[in-house]
Parts: sequence; structure tokens; C-alpha cells
Amino acid sequence: MIEFRHVSKTYLGSSQPVVNDLSFEVLEGEICVLVGPSGCGKTTSMRMVNRLIEPSEGEILINGEPNTEMSGTRLRRGIGYAIQQIGLFPHRTIADNIATVPQLLEWDKDRITARVDELLELVGLDPDQYRDRYPAELSGGQQQRVGVARALAADPPIMLMDEPFGAVDPINRHRLQDEFLRIQGEIKKTIVFVTHDIDEAIKMGDKIAILKEGGILAQYDTPENILAAPNSEFVSSFVGADRVLKMLSLLRVSDAELDPPNGNGDLPRLRERMTLRDALSELIGSGVERGVVVSDTEDGVRGTLSIETIRRLSSRAEAGQRGE
Amino acid sequence: MGGPPLVALQELGPRLFDWGWVSNNLTDEIIPALQGHIFLSFVSVAIALLISLPTGIFVSRYRKAYPPVTFVTGLLFSIPSLAAFALLVSVPGIGLGWQPVVIALVAYSLLVLIRNVVAGIDSVPEETKDAARGMGLTPRQILFKVELPLALPIIVAGVRIATVTIIGIATIGAYVGGGGLGDLIFTGISRNFPTRVIVGAVLATLLAVLADLLLLWVERLLRPWARARRA
Repeated sequence: MIEFRHVSKTYLGSSQPVVNDLSFEVLEGEICVLVGPSGCGKTTSMRMVNRLIEPSEGEILINGEPNTEMSGTRLRRGIGYAIQQIGLFPHRTIADNIATVPQLLEWDKDRITARVDELLELVGLDPDQYRDRYPAELSGGQQQRVGVARALAADPPIMLMDEPFGAVDPINRHRLQDEFLRIQGEIKKTIVFVTHDIDEAIKMGDKIAILKEGGILAQYDTPENILAAPNSEFVSSFVGADRVLKMLSLLRVSDAELDPPNGNGDLPRLRERMTLRDALSELIGSGVERGVVVSDTEDGVRGTLSIETIRRLSSRAEAGQRGE
Repeated sequence: MGGPPLVALQELGPRLFDWGWVSNNLTDEIIPALQGHIFLSFVSVAIALLISLPTGIFVSRYRKAYPPVTFVTGLLFSIPSLAAFALLVSVPGIGLGWQPVVIALVAYSLLVLIRNVVAGIDSVPEETKDAARGMGLTPRQILFKVELPLALPIIVAGVRIATVTIIGIATIGAYVGGGGLGDLIFTGISRNFPTRVIVGAVLATLLAVLADLLLLWVERLLRPWARARRA
């Protein structure tokens, strides 16, 4: 869907490239997260997809066609764009902000109005309450939702998102991430997602491209594989010493083989949708070896889960990924 | 008449203001002078704005041109107004009348207007422009749909300052035959008749205050999003 082919970028008057011979492919319907320390060229790489920056070498193919086939402005109207600073137009209402690209594409008025309401619903803002407000009247989290809605407005198959949840507090960020993953489950966009936060990358990415300084691709793989088998000193230190815990955060209680319930009501309750990381934390925190797994609505007991099972699962996951 | 006219005015004391003269000359002298003044000020600001908008936009794009433009307009701004009027009268093709006045008033407004156009465009947040580019607006659309609307309140603030300044300076234009409220003031001085001076001065002040309030209202009107923030 999006293919980087030996893409490099060197700014005029600089001898060091900011992006160095980048090649990878983002598959249709996947979120590809570009992650790395500052100065690794992740934002530059993203901005080359819609040609806000032109590469010095190499090319980027979209659906097999070089992205230079059409004018930059036409290309950009077909690619959703959401950034950390959001960049809502302060002088336009929320509805007008969301309608920006549909207006450029000259949709008729009724279609735009309907689409704006649909998108406000999608990002969890009541259209009647918000459509006629100005951005300054919204909280940071609400503005980011509008930013995402605006990027989705013309239903582009591709989205570029540069730390789209970066400007809000951690609690709101987690909520926005969860909501976006739910939305992505429905809309299945092909997304290039930039972040400096490895946890966000692991959570959001179907694939992760870890870039290091000088714009060199250090590793490109699924979050599971990167956590199980970092291919270099740089990647394992970037991923962090808690990579086993991070791996557990990708698995849910429902993924584990449960022991039969043994009827002990004093054990802590673990919901099926909890991550194994949270379950482990719960067990260690309660000072017990096992917990009772209940359904998400807490109305049925599914079995018990022990710390030992979690440990076995994590080493098996690691061995399994390495074996590939 | 003997002695400097201003000294003569001081000696008049009790007959400082003559209401009878005001009612007798309202329609054939005072109102035409006021209209002339509004004409001079309005035309000057309008022409100055027509020059400043494109210049300001250009200068905000080609930054290197900004210092020389500020230098030249700053120089124009610093010429004493009486001297400017007198010099312009002596330029062939201009002569006495409203033309030298308008030219000088335009020259005086350029500095503040161009500065505010540039400041207004500069005030547009970088991320707003980036988002606009990223969504596929053309440079022209970014200018007209994003930058200028957001710059407008600051531009109008510049127009306010320029207008108030111009309404004041325009009174001196009567010295070179430009008409307006300055006519009342100058003839009042030369004929030892303070009522004219007072009427001219009070009307010029009122006009400036009213223009200021009107433009303040326009400025607010152009910024509904800021009003919403306060609400």
C-alpha cells in the first residue's frame, strides 16, 4: 500500500542525512508506527509520504504508483493528516474544521453536514453540542478528537498521524488510544503513525519501525517479534529492560490456558480482557500465586490463572518468536 | 491685525463661545467642513490600506524586504506634517487642494498599517499553517482562508491607530487648502473668533473617538472565536 524504496533525505547545506536509505512496506489496513529518539527522522519520513517534504533520493510508492504522479495538493487531499499540535483553525467552528477537505473536494452541503455529524459521533462528541463551537471552547482532549475527525473527513484510505495524542495528559491519552484502536477496527485505514513513546508504539502498531539517529532503520517487525527478539543493542535498550513485561501487555488473560476453578472466593478477580501484565501486577500486589478469572461483566467464573502459567506463557512466546 | 493671532485669542475671555454662530452656520459651513474631513480621512486610510495589504503580504513572505520597507515608511512617518504639506504643494502637478493632504496622510499611515499586516500574518500559529498544507490547501487558499482571516483583527487594530492619527493630522491640511475641520480652526485663529476653533477641535476629537469605537466594534465582530472563548 505504502512502500518506501531507498528513501533518503539530506537537507541543503548539511552533510548528514536525516533519513538514510529507508526501505519498508506498510500493508493495507495496518498501523505502522515510526518510533525512535528525537533526531531519528521519523517525522521527516512521515512527511515525505504526502510530500510536505520531498526526498533527496529514492521514492515512495502508494498502491504501486510513485507519489509524485499527481500534484502535492491533490495527493494531500487524499491522505488524512493529524498532528500533535492539532492545528485546528481557531476562526472556524468545529463543523467547518472537520469539513475542510470535503469542502476542498467540493462535496455538496448536505453530504458534508451528514459526514460532520457522523464523524463527531464516531469520536465521541455530541454533534448538537459541539458542531457550532469554536476550538478554543474545547478541552485539549476534545480538540485532539476533532483533529482525528478532521483527518478522517473525506474517508481517505491512508492516514498520517504525528503524535496525534501527544498533547493530552496520560489518562486521556490512554483513552484516546483505546478509542482510536476501536475506530480503526471499523475503518481499517492504512496508517503511518509517528511517536517517540515505545509503549504507544507497542500498543498502536501492527508493525513498528524503530529508527535510530541519522534516520537509519534499526528494526522493522511486529511488536511481538521486536520485544521477543530485538536485533541489536540499540533496539533492546530502546525497548527497555522491561521488555518481557511489555510483551505480556500484548497478551490478554483470555489468551492464557486456565486451570479449572477451585472455588476459593478469597482470590483476586481477574477479568478476561485484562492484559497479562496487569494480571501479573494484580497477583504480585495481592501477594498470592493465583487468581480467579471472571468474564468481563464479572458474572461468570472462567477458571484460575497462576503466576507460573504467565511465566510459562512469556518464555514460550519469546522462544516462539525467536524460532521464526 | 497686530500681534500673533494666538495672543489675540487669549484676550477675548468672556465671548469665548457663540452659540448663535453655530446655529447660523451649521448647514453651510460646519457640516460641509465635517464632511470634508471625513472624506479626507476615509480616502487616505482606504488608499493606505490598498498599498499596505499587498506590501505587508509580500514582506511577510520575502523577509529580506521588511527592514528597507520599515526604514522608508518610518522615514515618511517622521517628516513634520506641516513641512510635508508645504513640500508637496510645491511639487509640480500636485499644488494646493486635497491632493497633497491625502498623499501625506497616506504616507503617514503606511508604517503602522504595514507593520500590523505583517504582525497579523506572523501571529498565525505554525501548526495551523502546517495542518492546512497537510490537508491539501494551496498556498493561495492558505493565505485567503487561513492567514488573512486570522490576521484581520490585528490589521483592523492597525487601521484604528492609523485612522485616529490621520483625523488629527488632517486638520493641518487646511493650511494647504485641503478643507475639512482645519478650515474652521485656521479661520478662527486668523479672525480672532474662538468659536470656530472650538467647534473644529471638538468635532475633530469626536470624529476620532467615534471612528475608534466603530473600528473597535468591527474588530470584535471579526473575531467571533475569541468572544466565544471568553463566554
